Amino acid sequence: MKNTTKYIFILLTTFCLVAGCDSGFDELNVNKTQPTTLEPAFLMNNAIIQSAFPLESIVFEIPIVQQIVTPFGGVLGGGNYNQDNKPRNGANWVRYYQNVMKSLVSVLNTTKEDANRTNLYNQARIMRAFASMVLTDSYGDVPYSEAGNGFISGVALPKYDSQESIYTDVLKELEEASAALDATKPLVTSDVLYAGNIASWKAFGYSLMLRAAMRLSKASPATAQQYVVKAVAGGVIQSNAGSAVIRHTTAYTNAIGAFVNGPEANNYYLAGPFVDYLKSNNDPRLKSIAVRYVGAASGPNQIPANASTDPAVQIGMPMGYDNGTIIARATADGLVSFYDYSQLDRTRLGKIDAPCFLVTNAQTKLLLAEAVVRTWTTGDAAALYSEAIRAHMVEMTQSSTGSTIPTADIDAYIAAHPLDMGNALRDINTQYWVASFLNGPEAFANFRRSGFPALTKNPYPAQEISTGDFVRKLTYPDTELGINVANVQEAITRQGGNALDTRVWWDKP
Amino acid sequence: MWIENKRVYFSAGTFKGPEQALDSLLKETGLSYEKAGDRFYVILKKQTRGSGSPQSAAIAIPSINMSSSTGFSEPLFVAITPDVVSRVPFVVNVTGTIKDENGLAFPGVNVVIKGTSIGTTTDATGKYSLTVEDDNATLVFSFVGYKTQEVALSGRTQVDITMESDVKSLEEVVVTALGIKKETKRLGYATSSATPDQITENRTTNFMNGLQGKMAGVNITPMGTGPSGTSKIRIRGQSSFGAQNSPLIVINGIPIDNTTFGVGGSFGARNGQQGTADGGDGLTSINPDDIESMTVLKGGAAAALYGSRAKDGVIMITTKTGSRGSGLGVEFNSNYTSDTPLDFTDFQYEYGQGEFGVRPTVPNPTSGVWSFGEKFEPGMTQVLFDGVTVPYEPVRDRITKFYRTGSTFTNTISLSSGGENGSFNLSLANMTNKSIQPNTEFDRQTINLGFNQNITKKLVLSGNVAYSHEKNKNPIVIGGQDISTPVVVYTMSNSMPLDLLYDKRVDPNGNEYVWSRFRNRTNPYMSVYNRFENHERDRLFGNITARYNFTDWLYLQGRIGQDFFTRDREFNDPTGRASNPAAPAGFVNGSYTQEVIRARELNADFLLGARRTFGDFGVDVSVGGNQRYSRFDRNYVFVQNFVVRDLYTVMNGGIKDPFYDLQEKKINSLYGSAEFSYKEYLYLNVTARNDWFSTLSPANRSILYPSINGSFVFSQAFENLPDWLSYGKVRAGFAEVGSDGDVAPYSNNLFFGVNNNNFPNPVGTLQPVGTIPSGTVPNADLKPMRVSEFEVGAEIKFFANRLGLDFTYYNKTSKDQILQAQISDASGFTSQLINVGESLNTGYELMITATPVQTTNFKWDISLNGSLNDSEVINLGEGVNEIVVGGNVGNNSIRQVVGEQVGGLYVTSYLRDDQGRQVFDNNGQPLRGPNAIRVGTAVPMYFGGIYNAFDYKGVSLSVLIDYKLGHYLGSQTNFNAWRHGLHQATLNGREEGYVIGDGVNQQGEVNTAQAPHQTYFETVNTRSIREEFAYNAGFWKLRQISLSYDFTRIIPKNNYIRGVRLSVVANNVAILKKWVPNIDPEQFGDVSDRNIGLENTGVPTSRSIGFNLNVKF
Repeated sequence: MKNTTKYIFILLTTFCLVAGCDSGFDELNVNKTQPTTLEPAFLMNNAIIQSAFPLESIVFEIPIVQQIVTPFGGVLGGGNYNQDNKPRNGANWVRYYQNVMKSLVSVLNTTKEDANRTNLYNQARIMRAFASMVLTDSYGDVPYSEAGNGFISGVALPKYDSQESIYTDVLKELEEASAALDATKPLVTSDVLYAGNIASWKAFGYSLMLRAAMRLSKASPATAQQYVVKAVAGGVIQSNAGSAVIRHTTAYTNAIGAFVNGPEANNYYLAGPFVDYLKSNNDPRLKSIAVRYVGAASGPNQIPANASTDPAVQIGMPMGYDNGTIIARATADGLVSFYDYSQLDRTRLGKIDAPCFLVTNAQTKLLLAEAVVRTWTTGDAAALYSEAIRAHMVEMTQSSTGSTIPTADIDAYIAAHPLDMGNALRDINTQYWVASFLNGPEAFANFRRSGFPALTKNPYPAQEISTGDFVRKLTYPDTELGINVANVQEAITRQGGNALDTRVWWDKP
Repeated sequence: MWIENKRVYFSAGTFKGPEQALDSLLKETGLSYEKAGDRFYVILKKQTRGSGSPQSAAIAIPSINMSSSTGFSEPLFVAITPDVVSRVPFVVNVTGTIKDENGLAFPGVNVVIKGTSIGTTTDATGKYSLTVEDDNATLVFSFVGYKTQEVALSGRTQVDITMESDVKSLEEVVVTALGIKKETKRLGYATSSATPDQITENRTTNFMNGLQGKMAGVNITPMGTGPSGTSKIRIRGQSSFGAQNSPLIVINGIPIDNTTFGVGGSFGARNGQQGTADGGDGLTSINPDDIESMTVLKGGAAAALYGSRAKDGVIMITTKTGSRGSGLGVEFNSNYTSDTPLDFTDFQYEYGQGEFGVRPTVPNPTSGVWSFGEKFEPGMTQVLFDGVTVPYEPVRDRITKFYRTGSTFTNTISLSSGGENGSFNLSLANMTNKSIQPNTEFDRQTINLGFNQNITKKLVLSGNVAYSHEKNKNPIVIGGQDISTPVVVYTMSNSMPLDLLYDKRVDPNGNEYVWSRFRNRTNPYMSVYNRFENHERDRLFGNITARYNFTDWLYLQGRIGQDFFTRDREFNDPTGRASNPAAPAGFVNGSYTQEVIRARELNADFLLGARRTFGDFGVDVSVGGNQRYSRFDRNYVFVQNFVVRDLYTVMNGGIKDPFYDLQEKKINSLYGSAEFSYKEYLYLNVTARNDWFSTLSPANRSILYPSINGSFVFSQAFENLPDWLSYGKVRAGFAEVGSDGDVAPYSNNLFFGVNNNNFPNPVGTLQPVGTIPSGTVPNADLKPMRVSEFEVGAEIKFFANRLGLDFTYYNKTSKDQILQAQISDASGFTSQLINVGESLNTGYELMITATPVQTTNFKWDISLNGSLNDSEVINLGEGVNEIVVGGNVGNNSIRQVVGEQVGGLYVTSYLRDDQGRQVFDNNGQPLRGPNAIRVGTAVPMYFGGIYNAFDYKGVSLSVLIDYKLGHYLGSQTNFNAWRHGLHQATLNGREEGYVIGDGVNQQGEVNTAQAPHQTYFETVNTRSIREEFAYNAGFWKLRQISLSYDFTRIIPKNNYIRGVRLSVVANNVAILKKWVPNIDPEQFGDVSDRNIGLENTGVPTSRSIGFNLNVKF
């Protein structure tokens, strides 16, 4: 009996007191497959890649600017009907906050105090400015100063900053960051945007500053001019090689490419106004962009055998139809079915690994041309205009060699289409519209700002805009309306609404 | 015969104890009694008193078990002296000693010569002596509450036996925490149990699904994936706002892993690649034939000793280990059920496939899931696929035609044997299940070995090993579209000929014929015949227990148990499926995934127990400790785009995305319990347990929680209670349990990921890409959540047990809940782990049993069980009034709102003006209201069952009706039927081609705008309005009818067959009442409580009809 008691005592003490009831727990509760720290430059790469536009830009922005359209509603309804589409309207929000901002805030936090990482730090600031512009251009007032801080400062419900304050800060950030980039400091060689090339990053930063400045041409011309001058002084993108491009691969696919090659292969068509514009101007880019499956009676009939890229046969789908009403319209247009309209060629510009252009040489030159016209800077507007067109035509090759435009065709087009100084803003911004094809957020923003191209109102009968002719912003995602209630309501009140036709701050009539 | 057929009814209140009862009973009978042991009395003729010792002379009539009618909850035994019957010729005298499972002398055990009425009982020292004519006779030893054992004499004159308690007799004894068996009267808390008959007769592949409606307080929900699918079990509602509210499953005292695969469970595909199939749960591995008993410990008091994972109750399963001294026995059980899909759709069949009032007339139409076509007229045709012309006519039997009649065939053979020092039970079983979904099968082989053995007089070794091999072929995918067949079958147009759909699933190149412009609606025949998914699981679980009895009152037990399985899974997304993007040049599209999971749960524990009595007082104390270690390894390789078509291997994949995950977790525990009893009618139990969780921070990882409960058998304590009261007990308990259940390992830190594929920089050099994979903000300071529960109850029996009542009230508070609360994604994250939140579950459980009719040949038993559970959100942290836990905000969502019931279903509403009129835009389309509206809770408030059993001369008929009421669901099936033109309501405006909604326009005038018909009905999708599709989710079902007959009584006695029983069972017979159109309200599911009530089409419920044959040799 004595022995028994002794054994029991030993057992109990062994179990707990000697070994400790939580001995080894700290070592056990360590994740053995994932690190708690990571080289921030790799996270920066993720932020860059994720900055490519989400597929939903084909639901809202691209149809709003009448370049691509679908007759279908449901998950595809949006810009084609001038309607809201609640499950889709938050795509930019999700992408730029959950992916881009989350990574960038982490990068900024890790590199801010590190004298050896100033280049990475400032590159991250430039990317943050880019993402913030897409966000605020899309929705108006958005979380900015507190965005992406769920972990680092524990801000679960970030406040909304006014668009004016966001642009003020973005311009300041771009100025500081671009200036602070320094080739003598350690370079970020793993960088997937410019391989760490400081000159390229500076040009990108100043080009983005030019874009941000020009965005304020109506809301704050003085600020616009001030920063145009700074951007030009800093040095903007000069060549296509300097464009900011996400070079998609088979593993990192182009969202729009995957969408139009997959579930929605037969549902998106080049919009009538876009095709008509290119066609009427004998624009060689039409051949690079379009394909028509001549005589297709249904989606499955869109086969290579009846594919034609001949500009002469291209016919865009007119705006304002749904899948019911388009049937008769297609017949009236002399087509077998609406599947017979021209499409973005899914094997070339619309291919699954097509690159995505964030800020291009062509766009930058067009903005400079406008700045010259506005006398905010000096230069030859007509020359900039022509160079921009050439730059964009040459850029086609970068997407797909099948879209290469012969130099002779480019020369001919440029010769035939000089800048009409009497309608310079119209010409420049209409070219900006073409040059921003497949960059929905930028085409949409610049259309709102400049009012060009002079599009006709989408005549779809059941639209949800009551004032004006066009959608002026995307509505806030439902998640915000349900969770970040107080902050989003404050922003809505400040802006006077959250409707498709509510104008953002810089969008003055 | 002195007392034959003398039947006396009396209640416990009449007598103070057995002796008083016997005095009264035997008055004027010429008989007297003598106490031979505890609860054992020998009845003697008065004149023989003292003339002979009972142990040498007591033979004859088997003892009378008076326990059922005396109201003494302990059985009382009487034996009659030999004078009552004529003396038989003397041949051989057999003697022996009987002991109980603790090795103590066992008085009062019946010893009978098999096949005769000759027998005796053991005396106070456990000894017996019996005169036997035939030295080849078999002795049968029995005692109520213990297993009957049979031992062949084989010439011996001494047979010693150890009796084993029989947990089948759940009325008497239940298995409580840590595997300790206790009489129910000692418990201060409620338990429920299922008998082996209930488990095996009405059988589903996952046996829990067959127990719906049978146990008070236990809410069982199948997952809408058919009978082999996962079973969701909730006891006393959900205690945590998060997902983790499943009870702990304990087999033979050792917890097992009950990870759920699919339907919202832990391990679906990564990165949202396709929907995930229901791969079953931990219970899927268990062969119901191996179950000897099942007890559900419902409350925290019952579960306090199991600690953290027991906060939602414990399901204790005991498997067979054979019985000692029973000789060799063979049992064969065969069960066959046939499953027929049930069609609850009530679609419109007036207008067929097409859009905007036009039917398909040219090849390759893509209106496959739209029924907005033309009005059916005789002789009309439609053109489908590549130009096939077929009649344009309604196809009304889509459900029963696509889903076939399934079947399950299970055969179990078991071998058991028992000798003096040990016994074993070995069973082999094979189950073949053919699902109602075509080409879907589930096969399971199980081997189960249970044994116990006396190594020495004091050391007993027992154990159990179960091996199962499970193979799932194409398990059912629900909760999405694409490869999930139900969504497609329920939405396809009403004139789609299924034979043609089957024939035309792929074109000559092997690519899917595009039949719907909504390409995500994959041809369901393509999903089941051109896609594959295979799961294979090998599982080994078991435990070894060694128990050393130091003395008759002190023992030490050590136990080690492990549940280990590997699960291989592979599935593809077939090349050519229409919604897959084209692959880059040189590749074909499609994907293939290969996964291996290894899961291990190791439990080691010890228990030191002592039991002593001091006069009227008894003390039973035990202390123990447990260490639980679990490890989960997952290797996963996803490849996309193939070089060689139709070769689904990881090597052939163009893009490779491998993944490896490891999770380890430990919980150490020390616990103790003490039971104090007074005079067999007053009991007090106290327990304490301390857990240490490896998943929590050092400051928070240790938590101590107590429980206390008591019971008072007042029918035994008081005299002069009325006659009609046969038994009465009141009980009360309080317990606290802590849990880290919603904390995954490593939740304390933010982790980075490195992508599998690198990204080229401008010069083409591949560069690494890092991410922050988690969308949840980690929290390093999480505390365990605490659940404290108070319960009171009473168990009362009336009229000689003809009427019984068992009532419980409970009140369960869950504090410091660990919430994955949704936050603004502008923070970069979608949720954060926080330690706030309090909810209160209150509820009642009632069980009424009654025997309205009882004659010699006919007996009618009724059993009613009902539960009411009301869970309220008390607190969500400072300043937080509402959190969204599931669903898509803006469509249907599940929210926890302070002051409301848990699991609130919120749906987006129509816009209404101040007067409540619906508002339409100027084109006549409905507008959406600004805020989602609350419909009600998605958690059933009331559930239970009504069970009627009739027995007429051995023919038994039982009927079970069950119900769940007081909850709501948002129906995606009805939403789809509406927007695709199948819903009856879409007949409105067909003829005219437009709808004028009833309401006003935005100017406040009566709406007169004509909205185009199809566009009008698609608005619920384009504007995300779901108010229309929120329904009361309640139902009443005729769940089960069973008819059985025990042929043993008519089988001629021979040496081979000992018993034959045949049952015919029908399950899911009919829905008596429901409120949701087109579906069975149970036809969907998600294991997680986050998505409760968010209906997303599941496979149709099936009615199963089958038989069960049990033969004992």
